[in-house]
Amino acid sequence: MLSCRSLRKDYVTERGEVAAVAGIDLEIAAGRYAAIIGRSGSGKSSLMAMIGGLSRPSQGQVTVEGTDIWSLSENALAAFRNKRIGYVFQFASLLPTLRLVDNVALPAMLGGGGKSSATYARAAALLGQMGLGDHLDAYPSEVSAGEQRRAVIARALINEPALILADEPTSDLDEQTEIEIMDELLAVNRERGTTLILVTHNLALAEQAQQIVHIAHGAIVP
Amino acid sequence: MRLLASLALQNLGRRKARSLLLIMAVAVASGVVFTGATLMRSIDSSMAVGFTRLGADMMVVPEGALTNITAALLTVEPTDLVLDQDLFARAGIASVGRAAPQKIARVEHSGIGSHHDSVDLIGFDPVLDFTVRPWLVEKINRDMRQGDVILGAARAAALGSELLIFGRPHTVYGRLGKTGVGTHERGVFMTFDTLEALAGSVHGHGGGPPAVLQKGKVSGFLVELAPGATPLQARFAILSTLKGVKVVTGDSTMSGIRQGLAALLNSILALMVLMFASTALMVSVLFSAIVTERRGELGLLKAIGARRGQIVGMMVIEAVIATGAGGVLGVALGVLVMRLYERSLVYYLENIGVPFVWLDGPRMVIVAVAAVVMASIIGALGSLYPAWRASRRDPYDLVRGEG
Repeated sequence: MLSCRSLRKDYVTERGEVAAVAGIDLEIAAGRYAAIIGRSGSGKSSLMAMIGGLSRPSQGQVTVEGTDIWSLSENALAAFRNKRIGYVFQFASLLPTLRLVDNVALPAMLGGGGKSSATYARAAALLGQMGLGDHLDAYPSEVSAGEQRRAVIARALINEPALILADEPTSDLDEQTEIEIMDELLAVNRERGTTLILVTHNLALAEQAQQIVHIAHGAIVP
Repeated sequence: MRLLASLALQNLGRRKARSLLLIMAVAVASGVVFTGATLMRSIDSSMAVGFTRLGADMMVVPEGALTNITAALLTVEPTDLVLDQDLFARAGIASVGRAAPQKIARVEHSGIGSHHDSVDLIGFDPVLDFTVRPWLVEKINRDMRQGDVILGAARAAALGSELLIFGRPHTVYGRLGKTGVGTHERGVFMTFDTLEALAGSVHGHGGGPPAVLQKGKVSGFLVELAPGATPLQARFAILSTLKGVKVVTGDSTMSGIRQGLAALLNSILALMVLMFASTALMVSVLFSAIVTERRGELGLLKAIGARRGQIVGMMVIEAVIATGAGGVLGVALGVLVMRLYERSLVYYLENIGVPFVWLDGPRMVIVAVAAVVMASIIGALGSLYPAWRASRRDPYDLVRGEG
């Protein structure tokens, strides 16, 4: 499902070039739940950004469902991200001027679906599944952080992606909400067969994963 | 497109005070440009009529001819001496803008007025003329042709009526307004052909027809200076180029005002262009700040599948909506300002004898639409570069607040 070959990301800093990811090879099979763990600054978020088509690698190759994503044109890569990958970021990533239902429908509309009633019905259904059926018309500022994160998961699912990338999705939530959000993500992985890659420094969350990738200093630690 | 427009509108509504300030800033610029452009065009056309009515800058007559100088040079004086009609066409003097030839014959027993009335028959070239036709207050609705005459303000006759001059029938084609210049007030104006056709009936001092009624001969020229030329330059150029002529200068203040006003209008135009350019820069700086502020959001949009064109489109639409609204508001403010002008400037100008000619409705609408379109273009141009730069960044850089 996912394959990385000699993946490398260098950043230019005032002290010279720094390798955030220093040549990683990685395979994750379809439908699996994989956790990428490591300390802050270990390069796990940079790795996830390259896997998700969000940050161009300095070197190497990322193949998702057989597509070498970084060989795609800019528009083709945007369409790939839109259709095949869902993102759950480590911050509340909803547009504040849109209602929850608009936020969830947005990727489908950006992907060319337009503002159709079918898109909105799907968005409403997803929010319902996340327990937010009563908050369709609420604005992000009107719901709790946990509810916002659930709405983000619903948004990630709107285009039925093959891969969900979650970058420390519960780092700013309380313990109970963290458990609820992780349950939602694991349910998506289990029930829909969507590949889930979770970036976390929480070992307890990683323990439930079928595959654990431990990163330190930009490289995989065996 | 609807999605992008809707996102852009919501973004504008998010920072109401900032959006309102942007709209107001563009409104002021567009209002100044709309009002300035409308007034400039109106003043320009008003002055074109007004200054033309003030007559020529100078008069060129045969050396030795007696001249009666009035404040406004509208006609040459009757004289036995003549010049060649193509004198200026042949000389091509750079400091001379226009040179209108005139023939003038003072006659008695012509059949016009009472028996001993002395009447000035004035021939002019309708193509080159700039001192007779501006005074037309009424005319027949067709071009002037041979046999037509225009009467000075002191002579009354119905338009289209027949006027016998030396027993020959002529048609009253038009009537001039009051000029205060005697020859103009009492004169009977006609084309050269019409006047030359009377040669057999008019007798000069030697008994034969006056020399001025010969084809190709004229009594003198009314001269308007070329833009930027001074009366002194033109006088020197004329006297050094043409032999046997005399240059009579009118009220030089008017030439100065005419040329000064043209320069002033050009300067105002340049200021308006600068004002629009500075507004474009301001919009660009503002949108650079807006893009920086919304990096995370733009990164998120890219992450969930927004294409570069959609990111740029959203930012540009946002700017165009704001600046377009500013343009519309500016035009409305401009109309309000011009209402005030109507009561002060127009009244003043009309008091000093310059009729103020407002731009007609359709043209004013064109200027208004142009001002709104320009304001929108400024928004589009001002936001294009910051939006384009942001759209080039990797989504991850934008989400992390870089770039």
